[in-house]
Amino acid sequence: MTQANLHAYSPRRVYSVTPCDGALAFQVRECVIELGPAEATTYAQLAEWLPTVRSVDELCTAVGMDEAKLTRFAAHLGAAGLLYKKADLPAELSGEAFHKAFSEILPSWLSEAFSHPYWQKMMSGLGSKRLYTGWLIELYHYTRNANRHMPLSCAHSREKAIKGLHAKHYAEEWDHYHFFAKALTALGYTRAAIAESVPLPMTLALSNFMRQAAREDILAYSICSAVLEGTTTDRSSYNPFYEACAKLYDVPQEAIRPIYAHLDLDVQYQHSDLFHEVLCKVPSISAEHASRVLDYGHQLVEHIWLWTENIDNYYSNPKSALPRRPFDPFLE
Amino acid sequence: MLSEIPLLRRSATVSPAPGRVTIEYLDDEITLEGAGADLLERLLPHFDGQTSLSGIATRVAEPPARVERLASELQRAGVLTFLLTPSTDSGPMMTGLEFYALHRRYVSHWLRDVYAHPLWEKMVTGKAARAQVIGFAFEKYHYIEGAYEHMALAAANATPEMMPHLARHFIEEYMHGDIYRKGLSSLFPDELVLYSQPLPSTRALINFLNECASRNSFGYYAGNELLQMTENTSDEGESSSINKFYDALLKHYPYTKRLVDSFIAHTNADQSLGHKDVFHEMCESVPPLTPREVKDAMNIVKSMAEHLMLFLDGIDVFYGNFPTVPRTPCNLLSE
Repeated sequence: MTQANLHAYSPRRVYSVTPCDGALAFQVRECVIELGPAEATTYAQLAEWLPTVRSVDELCTAVGMDEAKLTRFAAHLGAAGLLYKKADLPAELSGEAFHKAFSEILPSWLSEAFSHPYWQKMMSGLGSKRLYTGWLIELYHYTRNANRHMPLSCAHSREKAIKGLHAKHYAEEWDHYHFFAKALTALGYTRAAIAESVPLPMTLALSNFMRQAAREDILAYSICSAVLEGTTTDRSSYNPFYEACAKLYDVPQEAIRPIYAHLDLDVQYQHSDLFHEVLCKVPSISAEHASRVLDYGHQLVEHIWLWTENIDNYYSNPKSALPRRPFDPFLE
Repeated sequence: MLSEIPLLRRSATVSPAPGRVTIEYLDDEITLEGAGADLLERLLPHFDGQTSLSGIATRVAEPPARVERLASELQRAGVLTFLLTPSTDSGPMMTGLEFYALHRRYVSHWLRDVYAHPLWEKMVTGKAARAQVIGFAFEKYHYIEGAYEHMALAAANATPEMMPHLARHFIEEYMHGDIYRKGLSSLFPDELVLYSQPLPSTRALINFLNECASRNSFGYYAGNELLQMTENTSDEGESSSINKFYDALLKHYPYTKRLVDSFIAHTNADQSLGHKDVFHEMCESVPPLTPREVKDAMNIVKSMAEHLMLFLDGIDVFYGNFPTVPRTPCNLLSE
C-alpha cells in the first residue's frame, strides 16, 4: 500500500460521540457505529492525521500499526461509514437528486443546530422568563431582518423562474415580525422600545450571512432558507418548547399565541417546499457546485448554534439590558 | 443652566455607602463624601432626564445655586449630561479631532472585556485544547484574509476624503493573510488552508466589516480602528504582554512554533506600516460630523467591539464543543 491509499479517505461528519458499554458510539447521519477503546483511539489519530502534512511513518509510529494494516483499518472505517473515499464523489447530479440528498441530511443538521444546552435548560425549568423574552426579541429581529436578505436574493438571481419563487416567498413573509412584536407587547414591552432595540451581534450575523449567500449564489441562499424553514414544518417539534415556557416561567398565552399563528402561517404557505421547487428548475448541478451549496447550508446550521449561544450568554446575565438600546454617545 | 434637564449618563454605575457615594463611568471613578455625598444621594433619583435643575432644586428643597454647582462639577467629570445635547442633525457639529478623542475614550473602555476574555488565560496556562489553539490560528488567518473583502469594499465605496486612506490601507494589507497562511502550511496542506471554513463568529466579524464598508466609510474605519488597536502597539507594557503570550504558547504547545512565528511576523508587518497614526490623520481630514453621523459611527464601533468578543467566544466555545480542526468544507459524501 502507498501513502496515496490512506490519503484517498476523508472523515465523515460525526454528530456525537457517547460512551457505550466500554466502547464509544459514533453517530453519523444514517447510523451509530460502535468502536472499542483501542479502535476508537486509532480512528481519532487517523482522523486528526488525514488533513495534515505529517508523514505516514509518523502516523504508523503513533498508532503502532504498519501502513498495510492501517490502510485495511481505514477501509473498514469506510465501509462502516466513518470515512469516505474522495474518488466516490459523483461528477454531477440532477437538481431533484440533490434535493433528495439534502432531505436525508437535514434532520441531522437540525439536531446539530438545536443541540445547544439552552434548549435543555429551558425545558427542564433551569431557564427563566428573561431568557424566553431574550429568545423572542432576537427572533423578532431575525424575522424583521428578512427584509435585509430576501429581496437581495431576487436582485442577484439571474433565473426568472427561481427569482419569481423567491419574490413570492418575500411577499408572503416580509411583515411577519409583527407576530413577534405582538408577543413582546404581551410581555410588557412597548412597540416603540421593540422597534428601536438593537439585535445581538449573532442575530445580525445570521442576516448578514444570508445577504452574503444572496449575493453569491441563489442555490446557496435557497438551501439556507430551507434550513431555516425546516425548523417550522412540524408543530410537534416546536409546541413543547412554548408550552414548557408558558408553564415553567409564567409566560402568558398572549405571548405565545402569535408565535403559533406565525408558524401555522408558514406551514400553510408550504415554505419548506420552496427549495424543492427551486431545485426542480435545475437540470444538473456539478459536484463542486453541490458541495459549495451544501457547505452554505451547514454553515447556517453552525450559525444557529452560535446564535443560541449568544442569546443564552447575553440574557443569562441579569445586568444585560433588555431590550438592547442603540448606543448614544451623548447620553451614555 | 437651571432650565436644562440633567441625565446621569446611562452607563454610569452608582454605589452608595454610608457618608460616601461612588460613581463609576468608563475607566473613571468619582467619589463624593460628607455633605456633597448627602446632596448627591438626594439628587440622583431626579437625574433621570425628566426634570429641570430648578425643578429638582424645588423638589429636594435646596438652593438652586447649590444644585447647579454640583451638577456642573458632575458634568465636568463627564458623568452627567443635559438633554439639550443634540440628538438629531440639528445640533452642533463635531470636528474629526473631537470625534477622535471620544473614540479613544470609549474604545479603551470597551477593549477591557476583550483583553480579559477567558480564552487568553486558557491558552497561556496550557488549558486550551489543541482545536482551540490551532483554531485560533485559523480564525486569525480568516479574519486577516477578510481584508480582501472589507478593505476592498471600503475603498470601492469610499467618500472623496476617505478614498486615499482606504485605498492605501487595502494596498498595504491585502497580502497579510499570506503571513498566517505560511504558518498554517507548516501543519496542513496549503490547499486545505485556502479552502478551510471560518467559524460563523469569524464570518460574522468579516461580514459586519463588509456591510459597514459598503455604507459608511468613516464609520467603517472608526470600527476597524478598534480592531487595529489590538494589533498595533508600540507601548512597552503591551509588547511585553504579547511576548509573554507567545512564550507561553510555545511552552505548552511546542507544535505552534511556525504559527507563533507567523503571528510575530504579522505584528511586525503591521507596525512597520505606521498604521497607528492613520486614524488620527483621517480624523484631521474629514469634514465636521453631524450628531447623527457621530452616533452612527460610534454605534458601528461599539458593535465592532461586540463582534470582536464574539470572535473570541467562537474560538473558545465552538472549538471547545466541536473540536474538528481544520474545518474542511462539506461535500455530498462528508455528510
